[in-house]
Amino acid sequence: MNVPKHTSSALPVGERLGFVAFVAVSILFAIFFLMPIIWSFANSLKPAAEALANPAALFSKAFSFENYRRLENVGAGWYVYAGNSILIAFGTIVLTVLVSVPAGYGFAKFRFPGQSLIFVVVMATMMIPFQSILTPLFLILKILRLQNNLFGLVLIYVTFQLPFSIFMMRNAFDAVPRALIEAARIDGASQWTILRRIMLPIALPGVATVAMFAFLNSWNEFLAALIFLSDQNKFTLPIMLVNVSSGIYGIIDWGALQAGVTVTMVPCIILFLLLQRYYVRGLTAGAVK
Amino acid sequence: MARLQLKNVVKSYGIYEAVRGINLEIEDNEFVVFVGPSGCGKSTTLRMIAGLEHITAGEIVIGDQIVNRLGPGKRDIAMVFQNYALYPHMSVRENISFCLEQQKISKEEIQRRIVTAAETLHIGELLDRRPGQLSGGQRQRVAMGRAIVRNPKVFLFDEPLSNLDAKLRVQMRTEIKRLHQLLPTTTVYVTHDQVEAMTMADRVVVMNGGVIEQVGPPQELYHRPVSQFVAGFIGSPAMNFMPATLVSGGKGLLVQLEDGSSLPVPVARIELYERHVGKTVTFGIRPESISDRQERPGFAEIQAKIDLVEPLGPETMVYFAVGDRGLCACIDPESNPKPKSTMPLSFNMNQMHLFDPTTGRSLAMG
Repeated sequence: MNVPKHTSSALPVGERLGFVAFVAVSILFAIFFLMPIIWSFANSLKPAAEALANPAALFSKAFSFENYRRLENVGAGWYVYAGNSILIAFGTIVLTVLVSVPAGYGFAKFRFPGQSLIFVVVMATMMIPFQSILTPLFLILKILRLQNNLFGLVLIYVTFQLPFSIFMMRNAFDAVPRALIEAARIDGASQWTILRRIMLPIALPGVATVAMFAFLNSWNEFLAALIFLSDQNKFTLPIMLVNVSSGIYGIIDWGALQAGVTVTMVPCIILFLLLQRYYVRGLTAGAVK
Repeated sequence: MARLQLKNVVKSYGIYEAVRGINLEIEDNEFVVFVGPSGCGKSTTLRMIAGLEHITAGEIVIGDQIVNRLGPGKRDIAMVFQNYALYPHMSVRENISFCLEQQKISKEEIQRRIVTAAETLHIGELLDRRPGQLSGGQRQRVAMGRAIVRNPKVFLFDEPLSNLDAKLRVQMRTEIKRLHQLLPTTTVYVTHDQVEAMTMADRVVVMNGGVIEQVGPPQELYHRPVSQFVAGFIGSPAMNFMPATLVSGGKGLLVQLEDGSSLPVPVARIELYERHVGKTVTFGIRPESISDRQERPGFAEIQAKIDLVEPLGPETMVYFAVGDRGLCACIDPESNPKPKSTMPLSFNMNQMHLFDPTTGRSLAMG
């Protein structure tokens, strides 16, 4: 195959310089954005004394897992919080997908009275700042006896995740040609079979996007978790991080904090890289037919 | 295999009537083509037969069963869509077997039918590919494969060739016709292309404005159109139309054109048109009925000033004007006229048509 080469050497001088400048600027930006992550990771692997050393060094010769070991002594131990976070994130993903897929399918492929109005109302809830309704939410959860309960927190997260997710799924299903549904109907498939065997596999990038946002938002959420959970054994990773930093008499254990940050970050990065391909397709679905 | 009957079928969207009462009986194994301009209701009619659109009024009968209230999956029909509508995430094999799985047919039987269909359509080596890896023609074959494995009572085709390039279209046209000869099944085929309609159909249904204009075998539509619409729609290039007056003169009747020239009506036709003498009419003649050959009985000659010449190979099209009407004639390629030259052209009046200018109905129909 004769693939045109876009290496810098094949280009005239002016364009070559432009290309070099472009790469240099890109690298600069990449460093700018990656630095905090790398810094946290590097610091988490230093002995406590080194973490606060002046002048600051990115990497130190002394390598140690000491910070991670100290994380175990924070509250109930980091794995308990990680477990809680996983449970909540998983619950949020499952519930969000379970509700937003049929809802998006309904909005995309059926016509019913009040459709536009209902959709606008669902979307409008995105405009309400979450902080402004903390008190009523707290009261509702209390009445439902779901306060200080992981499932209660999942319900809160799902509620705030749904408008965006329904919007995503509607776009994803909208992008599937109507003729496919008609072909499946003629083939004798039931509504359920059409959704499961035809629509869902095609709209999978949309589902991946919805799942990833549900994960990231519930995994990183701090305020609601802090307010609705009161039992230390039910805390999530972001709350644990605060506990690390406030330690004893408010002295911040920087090393352990960075270890905590790293533990919190890793699943997000892995998931993002895994789903990246689907996620980009999902976001742009329906933009161009 | 079954008869298909449409009884006074109506489809309206609010106050707009897309289909305004259609009556049609399609015989067992007959190949019927619906043709008409876009918006004439042909696709809507097909979709009503398929069950994809509800019927506002009337009755659709497949075999002995009224199917008005049956879902598309229960009507025992198969449809080939304009954009093929193959499931993009499934292999060709899965695409074809999907409908059989829905019918709970045994795995062995599904396998057997896939192999037979693949052989018939020459898609054996494509079975494990995805639709995205196929060319337009191959996708078309797979879509047909998906239809034939079901052994349906009725085949429905919704403009299946309009996404293919010209050469492939001609090839697939003959293949569909061959397939119908091999597996005779009642077939309804929708197209806007009158050439497809003429070449494939046992009977052509010409639709316009939500009603059927004419139903008949292709040759009948070509030679005896009931209306100016059918006359203009069937045949390529389209029939020439000119306003004229029917007058009696000498021994018979004359068609007097706008520029004053008169064309004698052949003796055999006098009885047919006699009662319209004195009326304004629309005179119609096909380009292939105008030639540069020597005058023969029933031919009327005029001197034509040629505007434009289009040599096509087996024939040459010439464009000229009578009064302010542009006409087209299909002449012998050997004569090779020059633009702006004048040449004698004879109208074969045995193949003339006269229409009522207000209703558009053919005057030959009485």
